[in-house]
Amino acid sequence: MADAAAATVPGEASSSSSAAATTTVLDSLGEDITRIVTPVSTCMLLVVLLVSLLSSPSSPSPFTAAFSAAAGPGGGGDDITTALITAVTFVVAVTAATFLLAFLFYLRCTPCLRAYLGFSSLSVLLLLGGHVALLLLSRLRLPLDAASFALLLPNAAAALALAALSPASVPIALHQAALVAIAVLTAFWFTLLPEWTTWALLVAMAVYDLAAVLLPGGPLRLLLELAIERNEEIPALVYEARPVDPRHGHNWRLWRERTQSGAELDANSTVEVLGEVLGTNLGASSAGNLGVSAIRSDERVGLAGDARNLRLGTSMPNLSSDSASAQVEVLPASPEISVSVPEMRVPLIQPRPERTRDEEDDEDGIGLSSSGAIKLGLGDFIFYSVLVGRAAMYDYMTVYACYLAIIAGLGITLLLLAFYRKALPALPVSIALGVVFYVLTRTLLETFVMQCSTNLVMF
Amino acid sequence: MEARVAGVPEDEESGLLPRPSAAGRRPSVAAARRAPPPPVWATVDGPLGLPLEEAEGHARRFFLWGFACLPFLWAINCCYFWPVLRSPATFPSSAAFSRIRPYVVRSAIGFTIFSVVLLTWATTFIIGGERLFGPGWNDLVMYNVADKLGISGFMG
Repeated sequence: MADAAAATVPGEASSSSSAAATTTVLDSLGEDITRIVTPVSTCMLLVVLLVSLLSSPSSPSPFTAAFSAAAGPGGGGDDITTALITAVTFVVAVTAATFLLAFLFYLRCTPCLRAYLGFSSLSVLLLLGGHVALLLLSRLRLPLDAASFALLLPNAAAALALAALSPASVPIALHQAALVAIAVLTAFWFTLLPEWTTWALLVAMAVYDLAAVLLPGGPLRLLLELAIERNEEIPALVYEARPVDPRHGHNWRLWRERTQSGAELDANSTVEVLGEVLGTNLGASSAGNLGVSAIRSDERVGLAGDARNLRLGTSMPNLSSDSASAQVEVLPASPEISVSVPEMRVPLIQPRPERTRDEEDDEDGIGLSSSGAIKLGLGDFIFYSVLVGRAAMYDYMTVYACYLAIIAGLGITLLLLAFYRKALPALPVSIALGVVFYVLTRTLLETFVMQCSTNLVMF
Repeated sequence: MEARVAGVPEDEESGLLPRPSAAGRRPSVAAARRAPPPPVWATVDGPLGLPLEEAEGHARRFFLWGFACLPFLWAINCCYFWPVLRSPATFPSSAAFSRIRPYVVRSAIGFTIFSVVLLTWATTFIIGGERLFGPGWNDLVMYNVADKLGISGFMG
């Protein structure tokens, strides 16, 4: 990447610069796609493993009994009417919670939101993580003692919650692993719902994602417009494909600073910004030179600009992460706020689904942002994994089909992102393809393969 | 702070790459004059991690919080500041790392002690089993505790 940039400097012919820019765009996009697909695949694989290990078809889950008890004597508890009612209720609750989040963000209650995020992350890791760990210990008959378990579980939960909440305080790999862990635990919990409820939830959430991000009055669109207007980061659990090459970090940070200085014509603020970045006082002449070079760089419009814009936003988290680390200290000081926020929400089913649901409000529909690195909300991870986990309860053939459909849907969403260059919902295309492939595989492919094997055409 | 100043020429050289060839002559002249040292990064993430000025406070905070029954924070401290931990004392960058190094080394020692104690106890418990602990072993093992508390049946 740096070599391509260096090659551009000596030769100023437009054709050579266009060729270099094209190579840069392809390399950058390919790298971003890989960085998004890898964690999504890891999350889905882990959920499939958990479902295969921990769910036995012989014993129905207590949630099924609870739902049938709630539904009353109207035949089997898992019918389509109950599923639709549950899905609509869930979507209404998510919509209300997201509007509340947008309102709090509008009022600049960022410490409040961040405290609630920490509370949600810790709850998911401690409660769901503890339950999954207990199930694993019981299933595998590992003779771990109670004292070790009581010591290890809070440590792991606290470490992962801290890693998920403040990416500046921990290595990037640990931050990404923490997000994947939260997504795996939440997705596994959703696979314990009855079957029709799960499918109705997936379709309803895909429709909600479409409406929330693309409609002018949608809550997530409001959130995004507010964030762009203020040039702030929404306090949310969002997976971001960030670079790990130090040289890339160099170029991207400086490039962002130069663009920012070019945008602002105020000489004082320019000097202050550069002084903050470089840590020294710059003379007026050097500041003027940098400003002039920024203006010249801005004149390069086209693929080169687009490629740099793709990398430009990636350096933004470095600056916002400082404020994030500063706000980490707010967490211990505001337990009242973190307690009061959940009380605003009416519990519909159980306290735990409320927390899980509220946490996803921050993540659903963030989608893919073309302003910088590709960002994927954690809710997208969760629902992709719920779909594949639900398929794993039936057959592994449906798992493969759904996995390929979801990755294809993600690729299609990335293509649409390249065309429209604004935030898009990542859920609808993948969920639609996943559901269609699941139904087709279950109804057609299985019969086809069975007939082939019966007639000895395929072994 | 000195390391930060030393890092400036490298940043300037990297930043000068998009410039036209007319201005491209300056970085070579600047490089010939100063002979810039390599940049110093305290974290495994390099320029994407914490800057050097904040590293000391961060390492100290993590080390102290580790005493609140959170030895995993010591492990995170060691992993995050791995370059500080691994750089030899005679390295040129050790001057910049001299204030961070005590906290990282103590975190490493603390986590090592915690790991040794916990692994020893867990291994003794697993291998010893009922022969060593008697019938009380069944009351201490985690899946039996879960069965008694009725926790594992919740998601069963």
